Amino acid sequence: MTSYSKEVIADLVAGTLPWPQTRRIMSAYKDDDRFFKYVAVLQDRVGWKDPILLPVGDHLFICQSGGERVTKCECGHSFGDYRRNWKLKAAIIVRDTEETLREIYPNSDLPDPEWMEIREFICPECGTLHEVEAAAPGYPIVHDFEPDLEGFYRDWLGKPLEPSSKGG
Amino acid sequence: MLDKPASALRIRERLIESERLMEETGCYDGITELELRNQDPLKFETLHTKLRAYCVSAREMARRISASPGVREVGEMVVAIYTPEGDAIALSNGIMVHVHTMSRFIKWMIRNGYEENPQIRDGDIFANNDAFIGTVQVPDVMDVVPIFHSGKLVGWAGAVCHELEAGGITPGGDVALAQERFTEGLFVCAEKVGENDELRRDYVIRCERNLRMPIYWVLDEKAKVASCIDMRESVKALIDEIGLDYWMQVSKEFIEEGRRAQLARTRQLTVPGIYRGHTFYGHVTAGKPGYQPLGDPDWLYNMPIEMEITTDGKIIMDFEGTQPWGYHSMNCTPAGMDGGMFVTLTQHMNFEGLVNDGAWMATELKLPHGTWTNPDNEMVATATSWALLLPAYGVFQRLLSRSFIARGFVEEAFVGQVNSPMIEMGGQSQYGTLFGMAHFECAAAGSGALAIKDGLDTAYVGWNPESDMGNIEIWEQNMPMLYIGRSIVPNSGGAGKYRGGCSFLSTWLVSKTDHLRLVTSEHSSRVFDNGGLCGGYPAPTCQKHRAVRDTNIFELAEKGAPLAHHTGTNPYRSELEVRLEGQHVTMEGPYITAPHKTGDVFTHSYNGGGGYGDVLERDPLKTAWDVENGFLTREAAEGIFGIVLDEDGEGFPVANIEATKRHRAEMRAKRLARAKPVSEWMAKERERVKAADFAPEVKKMYASAIKLSARFTRDFSTFWDVDAQSTFGVE
Repeated sequence: MTSYSKEVIADLVAGTLPWPQTRRIMSAYKDDDRFFKYVAVLQDRVGWKDPILLPVGDHLFICQSGGERVTKCECGHSFGDYRRNWKLKAAIIVRDTEETLREIYPNSDLPDPEWMEIREFICPECGTLHEVEAAAPGYPIVHDFEPDLEGFYRDWLGKPLEPSSKGG
Repeated sequence: MLDKPASALRIRERLIESERLMEETGCYDGITELELRNQDPLKFETLHTKLRAYCVSAREMARRISASPGVREVGEMVVAIYTPEGDAIALSNGIMVHVHTMSRFIKWMIRNGYEENPQIRDGDIFANNDAFIGTVQVPDVMDVVPIFHSGKLVGWAGAVCHELEAGGITPGGDVALAQERFTEGLFVCAEKVGENDELRRDYVIRCERNLRMPIYWVLDEKAKVASCIDMRESVKALIDEIGLDYWMQVSKEFIEEGRRAQLARTRQLTVPGIYRGHTFYGHVTAGKPGYQPLGDPDWLYNMPIEMEITTDGKIIMDFEGTQPWGYHSMNCTPAGMDGGMFVTLTQHMNFEGLVNDGAWMATELKLPHGTWTNPDNEMVATATSWALLLPAYGVFQRLLSRSFIARGFVEEAFVGQVNSPMIEMGGQSQYGTLFGMAHFECAAAGSGALAIKDGLDTAYVGWNPESDMGNIEIWEQNMPMLYIGRSIVPNSGGAGKYRGGCSFLSTWLVSKTDHLRLVTSEHSSRVFDNGGLCGGYPAPTCQKHRAVRDTNIFELAEKGAPLAHHTGTNPYRSELEVRLEGQHVTMEGPYITAPHKTGDVFTHSYNGGGGYGDVLERDPLKTAWDVENGFLTREAAEGIFGIVLDEDGEGFPVANIEATKRHRAEMRAKRLARAKPVSEWMAKERERVKAADFAPEVKKMYASAIKLSARFTRDFSTFWDVDAQSTFGVE
């Protein structure tokens, strides 16, 4: 069975693994023990102790925080119950003018702000840009991901989660 | 006459039986045990490898027969081997999108009584390019031949080439001007076009008399027939070796194994749950010559996708909430939607083991009736269905990628494909003859970023994982235009910790012709038709067209003065305007206009891919390299990524790490100061929504989605706490 050390996984996640080695990992059979090593790598990276249950972005994690399961930024900021859309608790910058769009697209033709705006969802504590939506004005904010956390741990990982005191 | 199918049932009954067995057992053709695989796994794998080798070898041979630079240079061809019921067992590389569309074509003939009339016999050749039977668009012409052994139908061999000229209302094949099927070009609707391994003369004559450049289509037909015969004979020889009963069993086990492998891979690589995303496409045709007033000229299309991964590993994609079909060329049939799913799966999940139709069977597409994904009118045009298909499957790639990131397989996460706008042409060639051609250098867009590195520059398109832009010299042999530039477009990848791959732009001088019609398609207007992931931005994919008529370029050349080789990086004054005199044209949407002539200059830009991650985390050293090599501008490095660059002794950019840290801290602080709580923004935005204070095309988009989808209506109403129907005047 294919397996890599935690150090290799850490370098892969950080984008620092040399390309020839990365390429070999991409071409090889996948390592079935990846998930828990990956979570361990991320747990080492964050500065808090709440166990990570599932990464859902580059710096965004569902974790067990006391009796709750919440979506958390890498900086420790909590966006609340993981079943709710974390974006609704984020800070936002909306680019809906030529001037603000030009800041990101300095030399191309721009969207018509009457037809499309760029929405940036930001951690209100550390300022990390977690997600960008390009949407028509008035389009509801997307709830990107609603994982079947219980089913994943129970049926796929074979390690059912302890019941959470506040549901989920 | 079909002599005797190997199962002793007629093939139509066999197809129904096969589907019933799948329904009852959940396994392909009722294959609940992989008996032959279990008996001798090595023999099983070796046989499938042989079949793949037959396919790859047949395709390579056939490309040498073709006259089309699309097939010869860029590889716009795929071949596959099927079961008697029309399910793909093995396939070649190339435009794999068509492996499953061909499956639909074979099944359509079986269901429609082709056994009786026109009959299915050894040596017959059947062709099709009707998307409602089984292809994506008119230029995707497919040929299949039955494989008989011992007088029994034992399979099919099939091949598809993308034709560079299809005889539509405008030259090329992606006919942006088509508003109904009747202007898309030459249709071949599941026809028997040959017998005894030979194309019928009357069919060839029809092609010769209805196409602008029949040499491409006709020689491609011969190439496809040759590849099909090659595969057929190889399969027959293989059956001689392994026995007919073994073949009939093993070919089905290959597909069931493919289905099981796909389910297993989903369980291995992803996380179950609901994933959502969307993208948009702008189609602007108001005032353009040739468009009939059959509906509103300008459209904004929303493409929301909800993907469910179930705990048994099934992937279900649902397009509910998207727009209706329209009197334009961008509609897609279920066959095209299937094809998009198949080619995306082969790249992202089905990249090892037995690649075949089994993977497709482990998925489900929900295509709402009446939308562009499943029109309830078979007269609609699908000539440029890629315009919506590619952005939609770019969303699918981002949804899958979020699941890979959640599971830890970050090396597989990919921000996705983008549209790659097509330029097509016709009129009088540089040789004084009539011609028509789709320029296929578009098969080399920028890819979306990966979660661990930048996207590929000018080297990826979704429909063909073997992307290639072709050599300039070959294209110049086939059109009355000379390249005066083919350049990377700086900042054309979406910004992010890892940027999207950059696009390129071609600049041509029209040469040796008085009548050159240039037409473009699949170029979104006013909106980006792609996205970023995890904080990355979308790529700038709403470029306009720029041309200059009656230039002074020959005078400049005579004087040795500088020419324009690209449009430059000043969005307010292009290099064309700086360097060339003449009539300057800037146009959004499909480029449909009066013919060009010698001395005119035309530019066409392709698309870059979306970015991944927060821009403020981008590597400064890599960025300096990007600036040095023209992938990013210095202005973007500092203004978007917060990277301060100095110059070394020779004037090359060098990252100033300390100054970058300070600058990024300031940018982060400014970002926080500028941002407001989402709740605050929503409260204000709700007032705008309640008043439906939007552009007419945006209002029309909402009204159309609300009419077609109860779920969209409910979600919109709940999100904004409004009555969506009354807000947009929908009864």
